Amino acid sequence: MPQPTDLLQGTLDLLILQTLVLEPMHGWGVAQRIQQLSKDVLQIGQGSLYPALYRLEYKGWIRSEWQITENNRRAKYYRLTPIGKKQLATELAAWDRLSSAIASVLGRATEASA
Amino acid sequence: MISELLTRLRFLILRKRRSELDEEIEFHLEQAITARIAAGTDPAEARRQALIEFGGIELTRDQCEEQRPGWWVGTVVQDVRYALRGFRRNPLFTISVLVTLALGIGATTAVFSVVDRILFRPLPYAEPNRIVSLGFVHALERQEFMMGRFYVEWQKNQTPFSAIAAQSTGVHNCDLVENDPEQLSCISFQAGFLPLFGISPVLGRNFLPEEDRPEGPPVVMISYGLWKGHYNGDPHILERMINVDGHPARVVGVLPKDFQYPTLESADIVSPFALDPAAQQKVNGGFGYPERVFARLKPGVSVEQAYAQMQPLFNDDLKWFPPSAKSETRLSIRTLRDRETQDVRPVAWVLFGFVLAVLLIACANVAGLMMARGAVRQRELAVRSAIGASRGRLIRQALTEALVLSFAGGLAGLAIAQALVMVFVHLAPTGMPFISKTHLDLRIAAFAALISCLCGVIFGLATALQKPGLTALNARVSMSRNHAFLRRGLVATQIAISITLLSGAALLLRSFTKIEGQNLGMQTGGVLTVKVALPWWRYNTPQKVMDFYLRLESSLQRLPGTRALAVTDSIPPGGWQGDFRFSDLQVQGKPPIAPGTGGTVVGRSVTPDYFRALDIPIVRGRNFSDQDRTGDGREVILSRLLADHLFPGENPIGKRLLPGAHISSGAAAIVVGVADNVKNNGLTEQSDPEMYTLRRSVVDDWGGNHLLVIVDSAMPAATTGPWVRSEISSIDHTIPVEMEPLNQTLNRLADRPRFETTLLGFFALVGLVLAVVGLYGLIAFMTTQRTQEIGVRMALGATRANILRLIANDGLRTVLVGLAIGLGTALAVSRMLKTLLFQVSAYDLLTYIAVPLLLLLVALVAILIPARAGTRVEPSVTLRSE
Repeated sequence: MPQPTDLLQGTLDLLILQTLVLEPMHGWGVAQRIQQLSKDVLQIGQGSLYPALYRLEYKGWIRSEWQITENNRRAKYYRLTPIGKKQLATELAAWDRLSSAIASVLGRATEASA
Repeated sequence: MISELLTRLRFLILRKRRSELDEEIEFHLEQAITARIAAGTDPAEARRQALIEFGGIELTRDQCEEQRPGWWVGTVVQDVRYALRGFRRNPLFTISVLVTLALGIGATTAVFSVVDRILFRPLPYAEPNRIVSLGFVHALERQEFMMGRFYVEWQKNQTPFSAIAAQSTGVHNCDLVENDPEQLSCISFQAGFLPLFGISPVLGRNFLPEEDRPEGPPVVMISYGLWKGHYNGDPHILERMINVDGHPARVVGVLPKDFQYPTLESADIVSPFALDPAAQQKVNGGFGYPERVFARLKPGVSVEQAYAQMQPLFNDDLKWFPPSAKSETRLSIRTLRDRETQDVRPVAWVLFGFVLAVLLIACANVAGLMMARGAVRQRELAVRSAIGASRGRLIRQALTEALVLSFAGGLAGLAIAQALVMVFVHLAPTGMPFISKTHLDLRIAAFAALISCLCGVIFGLATALQKPGLTALNARVSMSRNHAFLRRGLVATQIAISITLLSGAALLLRSFTKIEGQNLGMQTGGVLTVKVALPWWRYNTPQKVMDFYLRLESSLQRLPGTRALAVTDSIPPGGWQGDFRFSDLQVQGKPPIAPGTGGTVVGRSVTPDYFRALDIPIVRGRNFSDQDRTGDGREVILSRLLADHLFPGENPIGKRLLPGAHISSGAAAIVVGVADNVKNNGLTEQSDPEMYTLRRSVVDDWGGNHLLVIVDSAMPAATTGPWVRSEISSIDHTIPVEMEPLNQTLNRLADRPRFETTLLGFFALVGLVLAVVGLYGLIAFMTTQRTQEIGVRMALGATRANILRLIANDGLRTVLVGLAIGLGTALAVSRMLKTLLFQVSAYDLLTYIAVPLLLLLVALVAILIPARAGTRVEPSVTLRSE
């Protein structure tokens, strides 16, 4: 199993928003989904997941409600709000800018060393 | 944006119940366990792994809670409550800190209110830094003045100023003639005067140029006070005719309420200056009327540049001066601020320095107290930290306590400040500019708040920054070494500052007793001075003036108890006196005295009983006699000082002085006697030589209107006063009379040094008290800290005396270090007091012996009381208390 990578500051919010864009989900689901999609590279510590969910909710980007799961269990589902959707778009754009900037720096560095 | 705000608001009000989060976490764990069991893990192991993976549930809970907007408000309330509980448990500590803070902040705020106007606040004019006072100065008049003839030239030819304007030399008495005549003070200034200062009337308008010329239409402006008081704020005051000194004039404007004359005088009525350029060359020996001139510097021109540019004009003017005056007249240009505050600025700075020092002591005290408390609480802090309080939280807690204390201290301080300001204003002598206008304002309240916050933050952090170590949990003695060193340093500093303050105050006190105790050369007990303000427009000839006074003299002489009664134009030791130059005197048969030498001579024109009334001995020759008053001869009496100057080694009696200075034209005056010296140049200055001329019953001798009657009576002033008043009103009932026992006048002259001494003495005492409290606190604390050590020592055979010596030595060393530093500082800074001292050296030996002794004595008491308490330790008890 590869060593889990530390998350970049602020990216957790982005990942949560991105995960919730498809469908409402509970906290456990969010953690599982991120782990799954990143092929176990990104493991969300629950210690930071719930504070992040609460933070996003206080900001009004996601909203929560209690629902019944498929195996008949009460769970708290989080869904993206319209503001959250807009915020996701902004954050994605910022992420793209950042990652392309990093990529180009690294690319140049590789050229120089070659 | 708005919806985010609304969400925040919703959550702030409806706090999430904790159970919801618990249920969520529970669900999460359940899922994790189920998933592990499904993967084939044993249920118990699955549960264990899930819990490990999740991490601290409590921590998650706290972190989620911290996401809530405004969650910290709750903790602040918690912190404050906790702090208050702590204070209640430890009232002695709380009270010491509060009192210290309140005194420090109160004194600082009050003094800042007083000195603010003198030192820092801009004058109440437009661009006040560009306004200057300019003119001539010489030995007899140190405030700039101008003569009309030259002013006319300056107005025309000056280059450095964008505006220049004159006012009359000062206020004069005038009568508002209505049904009942009322005496007011009047002044006059040019039409350009108000615009120069950037002031416009609150009502009506300034003088027009055509009103500000000779024979212009009679108009006046009145003060806000007169308008509101005398005229009840009459809205139709403009265009009203009022009668000033018998001349009707139209009111065209009302000056602003807080208008401040550049000379700091106050006047009720202003008339146009109406400068007549042509007349200036004729009147007053061709010099023109004197006036005060103010100007506004052009942008970019400095005072020095203006001085250089005015120098040629001044040199031209000098050509007109008699040789004697040439050498001692100078050109002077200085900023208005300098003119208004120059003589009080040293006091203001000293006061400010004193009070900052007191604040410093106060802060050191509070810091010491907080540190002591911090040391005692180290264990508590360690416990809180062990059960999960974060470092930030502990610091915040400490800061909260400090801020709560400083806030309370600040409030109490403001109350003290208000009281102090009231006392200052009450005590302040009339000559102190601005002081009567002092009040606490918002700026100053903010200043106090800032100080208290700074104090709080500084000493709060001092305690919070020491990391509560684990050792503190089980350590029995928690006072660390460098901690004790720091506190000792603080106390030594306090002692040092306190010594400096005390020496300053002691120097002033010595100086003040010298002022009070000095020999004035005259007897002031039982002497009443009566000032009659004859309206000049009715008593407009010397004949009328003489008739009035001679009548008054003879009627007052008949009053019971009158021992002696005299009319004079001035009385020593201060106030207005007829000064003239020594070099203007000319002795018959002797070469003239070199111009500009010999300084100033006081001239006084008196009736014969003057010397008897004030008990001034005639040491040679004879007094004026009643025959002299009606005779043809002209007699003078010299003071001993003047006789020695004029006739060294000769008998002055019978010598003749030529007319000129102080002797009106006519025959030469003969010296008939020599009177003993009298203090005649204020209480603190070197006395001048003095010449008395006889005020004969001849019209020529009764010009001028500075006249005083002095009554030496066997009856108390309270009895004589009304009699005098009724005698005067039986001659002319409309004349205002001012009366004052001479003793009281003298007392008032000493007001200024008394004020300074009282104030600085008070602050020095406050500083001493605070420093002693600090010392006491330190010793008491250290003794408590060493209880166990003392117990062990006693168990091993140390006597109480041994222990006492041990503790006292420790304290005394601190005091001695402070004492040495303080003495050095005091000697270094006492030079600054020089201008305030009278006949006391800034390095006065007695002061520098007495003050350290006093402090040592007080310090010893402050050390011995807690030290003795320390020796009452019962070894068996302390040893077992572990």
